[in-house]
Amino acid sequence: MTATAAPTVLVASIGEMVFSSDPDSCLVAYGLGSCVALAAWDPSARVGGLAHFMLPSGPSNGSGPVKFIEGGLDNFLKALEARGAQPSRIILKAAGAASMLAIGGGLAIGTRNAEKMQAGLAERGLRLTAGALGGTAGRTVQLEVGDGRFIVKSLSTTTEL
Amino acid sequence: MRRAGEALGSMSGQAIEVRTPMLRRCSAADVVAMAGGAEAVVAAVYVGIKGSLQGHALLLLSPTDAHRLAQILLTGLLEPGELPAEAPSDPLVFDELELSAVQEAGNVTISAFLNELGMHLRRPVQPTPPQIVIEMAGAILDGVLMDLMSTVDEVLAARTTFTEGGREIDGTLLVLPRADSLSILLDALGALGI
Repeated sequence: MTATAAPTVLVASIGEMVFSSDPDSCLVAYGLGSCVALAAWDPSARVGGLAHFMLPSGPSNGSGPVKFIEGGLDNFLKALEARGAQPSRIILKAAGAASMLAIGGGLAIGTRNAEKMQAGLAERGLRLTAGALGGTAGRTVQLEVGDGRFIVKSLSTTTEL
Repeated sequence: MRRAGEALGSMSGQAIEVRTPMLRRCSAADVVAMAGGAEAVVAAVYVGIKGSLQGHALLLLSPTDAHRLAQILLTGLLEPGELPAEAPSDPLVFDELELSAVQEAGNVTISAFLNELGMHLRRPVQPTPPQIVIEMAGAILDGVLMDLMSTVDEVLAARTTFTEGGREIDGTLLVLPRADSLSILLDALGALGI
């Protein structure tokens, strides 16, 4: 380890989660459409996690740890705790759940993802402190592990939540 | 897929070379990689597939190539003064005319492919109305992947690229059938000699 090491970027691909306690690292999920990225940061333990959820629920055999919000939320929170984060301290922020293509006739899948995320957190006594959910724009999100900043970029805007 | 190239060629008056399609079993990440990566901005024409074969079809172009294609299609239809600027300062900005031209080119290309499939299936394959989106490829594809992957972890993707003679337009045609339509598609592709 050297003091001048370049910041480490850990990428959460679709259905995957990443964690870090390295203050020089950042956790990224690229090109979210209807998917939802959930960022968790513990300001005391200085540990962060980012999960890239795909669907509200489904069969779990052979799937990635966070392909589904149902079941995946527990996998993510347990892995965070194993790294020293405390559920009572973590700051949760989320982005995604957009709807851009006219697929299927029913409720847009992005909306179902957003609702499942909110409900799943509420069941565990948790809530989002900030969120950029819904709309029609794609998003790339970045969690800075050093200070917990959560940056959401679309093609036209960059905002910090 | 050759017929799809001919359809686009007759529309633009240019020779279109369509390469042999690749058929692959893919994870979600593989499909996103085929489109150039999650954060790559693309112009995508999306058509849903209904009827005896269910799934999704997308024609993907880089924004620069989408502008070039629009220019080719609109030349001849419009007076020089009415044409959109050839080199916009921001390649992500499209005017309504360009969007409509590229959407129609995508629609014609995809529909030609689906018509050919339908002929071999001897059953109708119905395209939904086309939709054009300029977005990050990951954001465009994840809604499609969600529809396909709620019960399975892999999808079958048919992908081809084409080049428009002289003007160097590279496009990717991606056809993603639902799992329950796979055997129907495989039979049809076998009949097409792919």
